[in-house]
Amino acid sequence: MAVPEFFGTIERSGLSTWIRESPSLFAFYFILLLHTVGLSLVVGANVVVDLRILGVASALPLKPLKQLFGIMWAGLGINGATGILLLIAYPTKSLTNPLFYVKLLLIAFAVVTLQRIDARVFGDGSLSEASMVARGKMMAMWSLLLWIGAIAAGRLLAETFRYLTYADILKGKA
Amino acid sequence: MNYAHLHLLLNHFPIIGTIIGLSLLLLSFVGDNRDLRRSGLIIFAAGALLAIPAFLSGFGARIMLSRDPGVSSALLERHEAAAMLSLWFMETTGGLALVALWRSHRTPRRARWHLPVVVLFALLTVGLMGRTGETGGDIRHPEMRASQEAIVVEGTLGSVVHALEPTPEKFSQAVVGSLWLWGPLMFLHFVGLVLIVGTVGVFDLRIMGFIKQLPLSPLHRFIPWAMAGLGVNVVTGLLAFIGSPDRYVTSSAFWLKMLSLLLLGLNAVAFYLTGISERVEQLESGEDAPMRAKLIAGSALLLWLAVIVFGRYIAPLSDTLPPPAY
Repeated sequence: MAVPEFFGTIERSGLSTWIRESPSLFAFYFILLLHTVGLSLVVGANVVVDLRILGVASALPLKPLKQLFGIMWAGLGINGATGILLLIAYPTKSLTNPLFYVKLLLIAFAVVTLQRIDARVFGDGSLSEASMVARGKMMAMWSLLLWIGAIAAGRLLAETFRYLTYADILKGKA
Repeated sequence: MNYAHLHLLLNHFPIIGTIIGLSLLLLSFVGDNRDLRRSGLIIFAAGALLAIPAFLSGFGARIMLSRDPGVSSALLERHEAAAMLSLWFMETTGGLALVALWRSHRTPRRARWHLPVVVLFALLTVGLMGRTGETGGDIRHPEMRASQEAIVVEGTLGSVVHALEPTPEKFSQAVVGSLWLWGPLMFLHFVGLVLIVGTVGVFDLRIMGFIKQLPLSPLHRFIPWAMAGLGVNVVTGLLAFIGSPDRYVTSSAFWLKMLSLLLLGLNAVAFYLTGISERVEQLESGEDAPMRAKLIAGSALLLWLAVIVFGRYIAPLSDTLPPPAY
């Protein structure tokens, strides 16, 4: 395989080096913290909406839960930004791990599902609660499964990478 | 104050707590006294919470004492194994007590199946906690040992129980040495986190006055999901700690996370035991919660955020405290 040289180029940049090597508690670990906070916003709010659609707390009116979508999109925004920063810090580590692409794919599907629940279940104000539930059941189940899958893939990235940095590839170090 | 000091300060609570809890629970069956029963169950839940820092500080104390030639490592190991087994029973009893409290809260007169189960686990916990206390005392009190030598002496019952106790060291190696144990453990810890933060978050936000159209009584139905998440995270968190205690014990962020969790316990007491939860649960769509409830909900949200922040910083701050020594 041709050695993807731009991994090295990114890692030598000032931003990448700072995130990776700064001893400051506000460098790498702060970004990771924000990524975790973003995750709990997106998936936490999703869990409540999905569980409600699937029948938990069925006496709870569904329509006001629309306000939770704002929290979810905010969480997604945080995680898009912090995810890119983490990728800039360790491009080799992520991009040489097949699991990273699985994670991206799962998130893509989960976000599409989120958008569809937002539009098709909560977007139509004329729907009764019963028809909202009927429309949303399948999507809510997929949403839960996809987010759990994304968390699993994300967590295991820390344990399954082959190369940490570009220098590791050059050394042929597995 | 050092780990041994902290351990001695904390370790009597779960032992005596389970005895008091069990006594109240058994007494409550005389004349079907529901207040006594509730008190017993609450004491089990509190004991399960307090047993965690008692257990954790014990690891620090063990690392300290293991450098002391006057202390028998066989006695230390026996105490550690006894503590591990009794901890799991304590946590199970506490979890079951919470289930029983929840059930009696929803349907006061029905579904009594769980009470005998709580009594059974409480009995086993009292026995195992007693053994943990005794084996702990043996380490430093030759006057109470069965033998004057610092050696392990087991009676018949003791040897049977000992066969069931885990070997701490083997366990640590299994957790740290295996990628396929650590990864799934942390994955489950995150799933638990999401369950807690999502359900508790929406509940607290509603009390604080956001999403006010939601009536509170049906929203409260999400709390068992938060409890399930908490259960998953207590188990996975303790397993992670047992896997590499040295890393956690010397991390200031770890102790701040534990402190935040204890404060969340107090927060739950302030919400559920002062009558404020009954008032909040009656809130219909659009109604405003009392100021006191808003303060409790807001501080709970901040404390959960603190748990996440300190949890994330355990690793980078893993050598900020001096290693246990004296």
